[in-house]
Amino acid sequence: MGDSTVPLGYAKSSMSEEDFRLLRDFIYENSGIYFSDAKKDLLENRLSLRLKANNLKDYQEYYYMLRYGPQQSREIKALFDSVSTNETSFFRSPPQIQALQDYALIDVVKKRLERGENILRMWSAGCSTGEEPYTMAIVVKEFLKERLSEWDVKILASDISERALSSARRAEYNAYSLRSMPDLLKYKYFDNSGNTYKVKDEIKKLVELQYLNFVDSKRVSLMQGFDIVFCRNVLIYFDDALRKRFVSQLYDSLIPGGYLFIGHSESLHNITRAFKLVHFPGALAYKKE
Amino acid sequence: MTRDEVLKHLEKIEDLPTLPEVVSRIIVLAQSPDVNIRDLSGLIHRDPPLAAKVLKVANAPYYRCFLKDIDSLDRAIILLGMEEIVNIVTSVSVMSVFVDKGRGTGFKRKQFWNHCVATGIIARSFARELSAKTAGKEFVGGLLHDIGKILLDAYFHSSFVEAYEYSIENRCPLFMAESRILGITHMEVGYLLALKWGLPQYLGDIILNHHWPDKARFKDMVAIVSIANLLAKAGKYAYGGEKSSFILSDQSGWQVLDNMGYTVGAVDMERFTMSMDNVGKEVDSYITTVSGHSNGR
Ligand SMILES: [Fe+2]
Ligand SMILES: [Fe+2]
Repeated sequence: MGDSTVPLGYAKSSMSEEDFRLLRDFIYENSGIYFSDAKKDLLENRLSLRLKANNLKDYQEYYYMLRYGPQQSREIKALFDSVSTNETSFFRSPPQIQALQDYALIDVVKKRLERGENILRMWSAGCSTGEEPYTMAIVVKEFLKERLSEWDVKILASDISERALSSARRAEYNAYSLRSMPDLLKYKYFDNSGNTYKVKDEIKKLVELQYLNFVDSKRVSLMQGFDIVFCRNVLIYFDDALRKRFVSQLYDSLIPGGYLFIGHSESLHNITRAFKLVHFPGALAYKKE
Repeated sequence: MTRDEVLKHLEKIEDLPTLPEVVSRIIVLAQSPDVNIRDLSGLIHRDPPLAAKVLKVANAPYYRCFLKDIDSLDRAIILLGMEEIVNIVTSVSVMSVFVDKGRGTGFKRKQFWNHCVATGIIARSFARELSAKTAGKEFVGGLLHDIGKILLDAYFHSSFVEAYEYSIENRCPLFMAESRILGITHMEVGYLLALKWGLPQYLGDIILNHHWPDKARFKDMVAIVSIANLLAKAGKYAYGGEKSSFILSDQSGWQVLDNMGYTVGAVDMERFTMSMDNVGKEVDSYITTVSGHSNGR
């Protein structure tokens, strides 16, 4: 994600406690992303480029621009782009992908077949620049093989950042973001020229990209009927209240027998007991029964 | 092979490993009501290599809540308590019987001990998490729960290897493969050894029932070891081919603990599982301490 790295210590102006609180609250209200006091530097770092892009002298001006400026809604989108991007790659956290491949997918496909259905629905919630949903699509394709054509597969991929989504739509990646992926899969599912790897259409067409703000609970409640949901490293940005509400919506979004995967180092222990915790080799997931 | 054939064969084996006499006496002494420090210390001192190992383990990072080195057995007994010393003696000596006889010569032996030590360490942490009053015995139990596998490997080698491979191919528990191919399981064989050696009853119980803790007598101890066994397998310490995907709250060990009033639901099993990712170092250092060899990876 070359375009999301912000040079350290760029801003000339430093963020006052007051500005920090104003901006933090504004971001939280509009995106649910919560910057605790300990993350002040991180926020400052991420917003410094927005200051520069808008030619502003300090963070207070930036805050006024977000609140009252004529370009308000455009800038809010840019703000979401800056605060939501996080590092991601294909086959990130291999044990989780392995668990999807070896256990969860087999299980949900079997359940669907028992009900005489050949539909598969997955959701990559917080898909960033697309590595995760395309990874899911590759795993599904590898699992179903030729039978894929008999299945109605849809992987919904949503994010709050328009910029991340359009990058996902381009579906072009560099070798670095493919580093954890077996060579054979790179060869099968990407068109490679130089350092650029473009996701092939057979994979791309399984993924449907969509703008979604998790604060918008009405829209989120429309997300329904999923067999598997990936929501990795998203909850860490939320505060407790939103985390609880959103996780219960994730629960509702799954069909019985469905699985939720969250970030490798995240836990729902203090958020909900609705799910059953499932242990896989080197990975955890949550099952709705 | 049938069960009877295996049993008969085991009966006849003359070089079946034996527990050093001193150790048997320590175990008997530990179960008597009027055990005292002097007797215990005296007995351990009769076996200098054992005494040295006990002291080494007592100085391992886990016990090192003390500022100074523990430099004598008597101090170790005072600081760690007699019960813990008996735990250490039992683990160290049973493990030594097998480990010293040529490490790595058995089938996937290193992987086996890693699984056992990891199970012991996880059991100990889990017991602490539950504030279970199992007094460190869950560690000994975790360490020795699969001891029967060594006997199967040593005396029925090719059948045991066949069972191991069968379990990998069919993703079934090793004990199921054993019972199919050998007609007997590592639990039964291990239990026979525990009886023969006069190991404490709780150990026999763990060895026999760690795959069905609801049948155990020492229920919480066996349940804790059974869960630690699962977690070790889901981590990096599997031995055998069982599918290591499970819902913890559906496991009988979990339900046993729940029924006994342990607040299992309050334990953050996600964090616990993640923290157990780091047992590797402790596993290595324990094996090194007990065997005197390094557990090179
Ligand atoms: Fe076992
Ligand atoms: Fe085991």
